[in-house]
Amino acid sequence: MTAKHLRIRKTAGRAILYTFLILFALLQLFPLVWLFNYSLSTSGELFGPELLKLPRSFQWINYAKAWTDGRIPMYVMNSMIIVSISVVCSTLFAFFIGYACTRMVWKLRLVVFNIVMLGMIIPIHTTLLPNFVWFKVFGLLNTRVGLTIPYIAFTLSFNTLMFSGMLKGLPRSVEESAWIEGAGLGTLLFEVVAPMVTPAFATVSIMTFLTNWNEFIMANTFLASENLRTIPFSVIRFEGEYASQYAVQFACMALAALPAIVLYFVFNKWIIAGVTAGAVKG
Amino acid sequence: MKRNVFRTVLCLAAVLILLPALLWAGGKQEKKPEQILLKMGDNLPDRTGTWGAVVEQINAEFIKEHPNVKIETESYPDQPYQQKIKLYAASGQLPDVFKYWSFSTLLKPLVDAKLVAELNVADFKDLNYLAGALESNTYDGKLWGIPVSGDLWVVYYNKRLFKQVGVTVPETSDEVLAMIPKFKAQGLIPMSTDGKDSWPLCITWDNIIGRLTSDYSIIQTALDRKMKFTDPPFVQAAKILQDMVKARLFQADLVTSDYGASRNLFGQEKAAMYLMGSWELGLVTDQNFPQGFRDNVSVFKFPLIKGGKGGRDDLVAWFGGNYVVNANSKYKDLGIEYLKFYANRFPTLIWEKQAAVPAQRVEATAKDSELAKSLLQIAADAKQSSGTPSLDRSTPAFKEDEQKFVRDLAALVLTPEQFARQLDASAETAAKQ
Amino acid sequence: MRSLFSNKMAIFLLIFPGLVVMLFSIAAPVILSVYYSLTQWAGFGELTLIGFQNYHNILLADKTFWLSLFNALVLMVITIFIQNPIAFVLAAILTKVRKHSRFFRTVYFVPAIISVVVITKLWVNIFNPTYGLLNKVLKGLGLEMLTTAWLSNPHTALFAVIFIMIWYGFGWALLFYYSGLMMVPKDLEEAGIIDGASPLQLYTRVIIPYILPVIQAVLIIDVVSCLKQMEIVYLSTAGAPGDRTQFIANYLYIKAFAYSQYGYGNAIGVLFVIVAVLLTILTRRITWQSPDVE
Repeated sequence: MTAKHLRIRKTAGRAILYTFLILFALLQLFPLVWLFNYSLSTSGELFGPELLKLPRSFQWINYAKAWTDGRIPMYVMNSMIIVSISVVCSTLFAFFIGYACTRMVWKLRLVVFNIVMLGMIIPIHTTLLPNFVWFKVFGLLNTRVGLTIPYIAFTLSFNTLMFSGMLKGLPRSVEESAWIEGAGLGTLLFEVVAPMVTPAFATVSIMTFLTNWNEFIMANTFLASENLRTIPFSVIRFEGEYASQYAVQFACMALAALPAIVLYFVFNKWIIAGVTAGAVKG
Repeated sequence: MKRNVFRTVLCLAAVLILLPALLWAGGKQEKKPEQILLKMGDNLPDRTGTWGAVVEQINAEFIKEHPNVKIETESYPDQPYQQKIKLYAASGQLPDVFKYWSFSTLLKPLVDAKLVAELNVADFKDLNYLAGALESNTYDGKLWGIPVSGDLWVVYYNKRLFKQVGVTVPETSDEVLAMIPKFKAQGLIPMSTDGKDSWPLCITWDNIIGRLTSDYSIIQTALDRKMKFTDPPFVQAAKILQDMVKARLFQADLVTSDYGASRNLFGQEKAAMYLMGSWELGLVTDQNFPQGFRDNVSVFKFPLIKGGKGGRDDLVAWFGGNYVVNANSKYKDLGIEYLKFYANRFPTLIWEKQAAVPAQRVEATAKDSELAKSLLQIAADAKQSSGTPSLDRSTPAFKEDEQKFVRDLAALVLTPEQFARQLDASAETAAKQ
Repeated sequence: MRSLFSNKMAIFLLIFPGLVVMLFSIAAPVILSVYYSLTQWAGFGELTLIGFQNYHNILLADKTFWLSLFNALVLMVITIFIQNPIAFVLAAILTKVRKHSRFFRTVYFVPAIISVVVITKLWVNIFNPTYGLLNKVLKGLGLEMLTTAWLSNPHTALFAVIFIMIWYGFGWALLFYYSGLMMVPKDLEEAGIIDGASPLQLYTRVIIPYILPVIQAVLIIDVVSCLKQMEIVYLSTAGAPGDRTQFIANYLYIKAFAYSQYGYGNAIGVLFVIVAVLLTILTRRITWQSPDVE
C-alpha cells in the first residue's frame, strides 16, 4: 500500500472513531439534557408522549421554587461542609492505609488490609438502626460531624482498594532515593509518593464526593433538624402524599448536579500522565 | 513542579477541614428557656401543596392561641418517614405528636410497646366524626388516634373521552369490559391505576369480593381463620381481577406503573378512567393538567359484577391517617389539645382546598366542584361500608405478602388458585403471631 | 530503608485514623447485626432470641433469596464480561486521543454525576410501553412485534433493569480504567512497540499485566457493587414481576423495614456478607494476584 493509501485509511479510521465517540457522547449527555428539559416544563408534561419536548412556556419559576421552597442555599452549604470533610478525611486515611498495607513491611499487613476490605461488603441498611442507637450514646445524632463519620467509614474500603491497586505497581527506586536523601515519613508520603499517584487521588476524591453528595438514606437517619439537612432533602420537599411537583424536583436535581459537574471538570486535570518510571529526583 | 502543586493541594485540604470544623460547632439547636418546643412528624414534605399547606395553617393558628409554643415538624415521604418513626420508637425519641396510619400494621406495634398515649373518646365525640371513624382506631376498647380522612374507593372518568368514543357510564363489569376495544381503537388506555405499589389492586380485590358476596366481613373471618382464602369467593374475586388484566383493561406496564405515572396517564387524557380513592378530588384543581381535562373529570361507583349479590352502594370505605400523641412526651396534655384543635380546623380547611374528604362531616357548599359533590353523594348513598381494607387488617408481613401476591396475580405470574394458596399460608403464619 | 518500612510507630499512625472510624461506625453495628440476626424482632418492642431459625428459613425455604442472589450473579457476569471490556477499550482509545480527551471523559462521566433517581426515571420513561422511546423507535423501524412492556414483562424485566445498572455504572468503569492506564509509563509502551509488538500484543502482553492490580481492584468493586444494587430496583420495578428483578440488597431492605422482620433482614445481611467475601476471594484467585510488595 502506498503512503497515500495508508494516510487515507488512517484518516477514515480516525473519522469513524470520532463519529463513534461523538455518538456515544450524545448518549451519555442525554440524561442531563432530559433533566434540564423537564426542569423547565410543568409537572404534567413529564409523562407525555415525547421524550424531549420544548416546553409550552419555560417554567423558570421551577428554579425559583427550588431555590426558595427547596431551601437549596442552606442545604448546599450543609452538603459542602459534610461532604468536604468526608472527602478529605476518607481520601487521606485511605492513602495512609493503602500505603501502609502495600509498601510497608509488617506481619499483620494482610490482615488489616482484609479487615478494611470487609467494610466494603457490609450493606448500609443493616447498620442504620444499630448506629442510630450507638451514635445517640455519643451525642452524635443530629450533628454535621456525626454524619461525616459513616460517610468516611463507608467509602474508606473502596478508596483503600483503589489506592493499593495503584501503589502496588510503583517501583521502589524512587522511595529509596528519597530515603537516601534523608526524607522523613511525611515528606516521603506527600512529596514523593503522592505525586506519583495523583490519578488515584483524583479518582478517589471524585468517587467519595459523588457517593456522599447524592446520599440520602444515612442523612435521613442521622439528621433531624431542618437547618442541618443536605441537598437530597430539597427534592423531597416537593413530594406530596399523592401528587408531587415533578418539574420542581427536576430543577432541584439539576441544581444539585451543577456543583458536582463543575468539581468533576476541575478535578479531571489531576488525572494526568503522572508516572515517569525511573525518574530519580535531583 | 509537582511538589509545589501537591503542597498547595495539601494546604487547601487543611483549610477545607479546618473551616468546616469551625462551622460545625454551630450545628446544634438553640432554644429559649420558657418556650415549649412541640415536635411533630408527618409524611407531607411538601408544605406548599394542599395537605401540607393545611397543616401549616393549622399550626400557625395553634401558635397564635399558644404564643409560648413553637412547632417543629419533620416530614419525609412515606417510606423514609416510616423508617424514621421506627428508629425513633427504638430509641425513645418519638415526636410529641405525629401522623401514623394503617392501624394494625403500623400503629398497633407502637401501641403494644406502650409508646402511644391513650385518648379520651369524650374529647372527640362532638366533633362530627362519621360513623365508624373513631371506632376504626379503637383497640382494646381504647382510642389511640384520630383519623383524618374518609376514603372511598371509586372510579374517576373523563366525560369528554367517553363522549368521543361513544360510551356511557357503565353499570356492570361486563359493560366495562365491552368498552375496552372502543377505547383501544382510539389509542386510549381504558383504565389506569397504580400497580407498582399494589395496594390499589388489593383494595380492588376487596371491592370485587364485596360485589360478589355483599359481605365484606368474610375477609376478617378468613383472617381469624374461621374461613380460608382458598374458599370460592376469594378465588373467584382473584380470577375476575386477573381477567380484567388479561382483557387489557389497564395500562400495559401495570405492575411497574407507580402512583404518579398512573395518575398522570389519566390527567393527561391518555386513560379514560382512573381507579382510585376519594382523596383525588383535587384532580379538578390540579394546574398540571389541561383545562379540558379538569372540566370533564367526574366519578362513578364501582360497577356491579354479574351474578354477584353486592349492590353499588356497598362501598369500600375506610378511615385513613391517624394523628397520635407520644405516650412519653413531656407535653402530653398540650399534644392532646393540639389534636382537638386539629380536629376542629381540619375538615373545613381541607374541604375548602378540595384536597380530601375528611373523616368528619362536611356540608356541601356552593363553591364545591361537581366532582366533590358527587363524592359526598356516593358517601351518603352508602348502605354498608367495608371498613379497613384487607391488607391493613393483619401483620406487616401479611400486608407485604398480600401486596406481592396481588401484584404477581396482575403480572400473570400466579394463577388465582396459586394466589389463594399463598395468601392463605401467609394468613396462617400471621394468625399465629 | 528497612527501618522506615517496618517502623511500628509509623505504621500505627498511618492505619489508626481510618481503622478507628471504621471500627466505630461499621464494626460495632455489624456485631449488633449478627446478634439481631438470631432474633425475631420488629425493630422496636418485643425481641425474642430464636437462634438459627432465620438462617434455616432463608437457606431452605426462601425462594426469593436464592432468586435475588441469582439475579445479582447475572448482573455480575454481564458487568464483568460486557460492561468492563467496553469501558476498557473506550478508556484505551481516550488515552490515545489526546486532543479532546478531557472533553470526552467529562461527558462520558455525566450520568454517574446525576443522581440515580433521575437516571432511573429516565429509563423507566424510555421503557414505557405506551409512550416510551424504545417502543416508538421499534414501531418506526417496522419491528412492532418486538414491542413490549419492558419492565413488566417477566421475560424482559431483568435485562431491562440490568441495562439501567450497567449503563449507570459505565462512567465509573471508564474513570477507573482511564486512571489506571494513565499510570503506565511511556517508556514501557515505547519499548514494546520497538520490540515489534502489534497493538493487540502491546495491550495483552505489556499494558494489562502492568495494571493488573488496578483491574483486580475494579473487578472486586464490581462484584461487591452488583450485590449491593438497591436504588435502581427500588425505583423502577420494586422486584416485580414476581421477584424476577429482585436483588439481594433490596430484598434485605424490604424484609427488615417493610415486613418489619428486622431479625430476618439482618440474617440476610450476614449471608450477603459471606457470599461477598467468597466471591471476592474467588476474584482475587482468578486474577492471579497475590498482594505482595515487589
